[in-house]
Amino acid sequence: MEIRPILSALMRSKVALVLIGLQIALTLAIVCNALFIIGQRLERMQRPSGMNEVDTFAVTSSGFGEGFDVRSTMEADVTLLRSLPGVAAATAINSLPLSNGGWSSGLVLKPDQRTPLASAAFYFVDAGALDALGLKLVAGRNFKPEEIGYRTMNDNVTPAGVIVTRALAEKLFPGQGAVGRQFYIDDPRTTPPTTVVGVVDRLQEPWVDSKEIEYSVLRPQHLPYGNSSTYLVRAEPGRRDEVMKQVEDKLAAANPSRIVRGLKSVESVRAEAYAADRAMALILGAVIVALLTITALGIVGMASFWVTQRTKQIGTRRALGATQFDILRYFLTENFLITTLGLLVGAVLTYAFNVWLMTHYESPRLPWHYVPVGFLCLWALGQIAVLGPATRASRVPPAVATRSV
Amino acid sequence: MLAMKHLQKVYRTHLIETHALRDFSIHVREGEFVAVTGPSGSGKTTFLNIAGLLEEFTGGEYKLDGVDVGGMNDAERSRLRNEKIGFIFQGFNLIPDLNLFDNVDVPLRYRGFNAAERKRRIEESLGRVGLASRMKHYPSELSGGQQQRVAIARALAGSPRLLLADEPTGNLDSLMARGVMELMEEINRQGTTIVMVTHDPELAVRAQRNVHVMDGQVTDLGEEPRLRVPASPEPMPA
Ligand SMILES: Nc1ncnc2c1ncn2[C@@H]1O[C@H](COP(=O)(O)OP(=O)(O)O)[C@@H](O)[C@H]1O
Ligand SMILES: [Mg+2]
Repeated sequence: MEIRPILSALMRSKVALVLIGLQIALTLAIVCNALFIIGQRLERMQRPSGMNEVDTFAVTSSGFGEGFDVRSTMEADVTLLRSLPGVAAATAINSLPLSNGGWSSGLVLKPDQRTPLASAAFYFVDAGALDALGLKLVAGRNFKPEEIGYRTMNDNVTPAGVIVTRALAEKLFPGQGAVGRQFYIDDPRTTPPTTVVGVVDRLQEPWVDSKEIEYSVLRPQHLPYGNSSTYLVRAEPGRRDEVMKQVEDKLAAANPSRIVRGLKSVESVRAEAYAADRAMALILGAVIVALLTITALGIVGMASFWVTQRTKQIGTRRALGATQFDILRYFLTENFLITTLGLLVGAVLTYAFNVWLMTHYESPRLPWHYVPVGFLCLWALGQIAVLGPATRASRVPPAVATRSV
Repeated sequence: MLAMKHLQKVYRTHLIETHALRDFSIHVREGEFVAVTGPSGSGKTTFLNIAGLLEEFTGGEYKLDGVDVGGMNDAERSRLRNEKIGFIFQGFNLIPDLNLFDNVDVPLRYRGFNAAERKRRIEESLGRVGLASRMKHYPSELSGGQQQRVAIARALAGSPRLLLADEPTGNLDSLMARGVMELMEEINRQGTTIVMVTHDPELAVRAQRNVHVMDGQVTDLGEEPRLRVPASPEPMPA
């Protein structure tokens, strides 16, 4: 191969070499890190909440006026919702996964334990919750209707039994089986412990940024916020939108001294929760496409310019015995060398960029394979970009050697 | 060495047809030094390009070293060009980004010689033209005459049987032109066949035979070819 003479000829056009090389280096560094960030965001967005998101929606009732009774309204509303055609299940609930608002508290196993073993989200629900959320019970039992109590701001009642997620059960009672075991969910100095009656496969906390997102506790209690109550409804498959359309009117008609609001599907709650992640992924994706396009165009432009500039030289090489393939190979090799030089610098930049992201944005370390894969992709990009100009070069007729001056 | 019979070359553009060569016949024997003269536009370069396999012809027959080159494809022609023919151009056609060593190396790499063989040939042929000490220099650092010597070294490095030169002294002053001419005579004495296009009658008369071209045809084949009696070798110009 004619690597050495191509390299020494390249060294005579250093400015172009440095410009294209730097462009390739920056492209590698930015594309690798951007792809990594996109991957993390997508991974984050794909985490299952544990609940049925397709068929479910939430709605809130806020009572007003003298003599509004939130407790009787809640019970009547849940009964009404369950009776509506197209409704498969319904529950009163204080908060939803992906909603980024709710109640959490530290958990301890013994009353004198200072630092909590884990922090978990509390879902205040009734006996219809497992059905409405579409949760899978993996151990123990569901709540019984008679177990459902009330918890208010002033009335600190701890339920006798709760249902926890599998992740939390493992955290609290590793390898022991959680059902029947006791722990504290409220202030251990003033309230009794509670007993695990059931374990569900998974249910995320409401906060998508939570580090312990799989730790949730279902409490068999109604939790009215003042005169407000929220319900989760699961429609029969395919009937969610149809049910959503009528539910507002039905609830309003049943009790005129309240406002029905906050009607939204859990799918839309998820979309809202990850709107920033999706936007970030899209922007970075656009940046990647733009960078690759600009780099490819830069290579095409530079190679085209060089082919034009060297037309006579190409003719001379042909006259001296180069085949068309020799000329094609010359430009492909030249591009490969430029790209490789750029990529070597780019590998260092990629690493430096990642270190910067790690120190300033708590980004994880870039897995090593991003760089070699990036090398392969940019080598391919370079060869494809240069193919057009190189083919044009190979078609320069040998007679150019004597004809052009 | 080179035999053309009733050769035709027509350039077709969308407007006109140019008959650059019509019924062009010539026979150059091994070891000859032929000068081709003729007015501008008469077809001299066209003849040289076809002789050197840079262009195809549209009719007639051309045998190079006994081989009919009519039906050859581009790769075969490139190969033949590389092995049998050395080119010398009016504009030197050195590659500006390569030093003299790498310039002379160009045809040798296409030939597929190994590194040691190439180095030996480059040093020898640059030595023959008196530029062995300048191997790391770039063409722009040399005078026109020196550049043409490098081009001659490049043409000779692959030991071609036939040297084709299109106005090799056209861009040189008379002193440098004489030096180049003496070098070519020396090369011819050592056995290489040379066909040289020139408009300089002074140089033309120094060749063994003059061929005059007019309107794409050979009008004057010159005296019957005879081989030059090897003279006492002259010292090489430095
Ligand atoms: N590529 C081409 N296309 C069309 N006409 C050409 C081409 N090359 C040469 N010619 C024409 O062919 C004729 C012979 O040209 P050329 O061989 O270059 O003459 P010379 O070298 O004797 O000056 C001229 O009329 C020229 O214009
Ligand atoms: Mg000419």
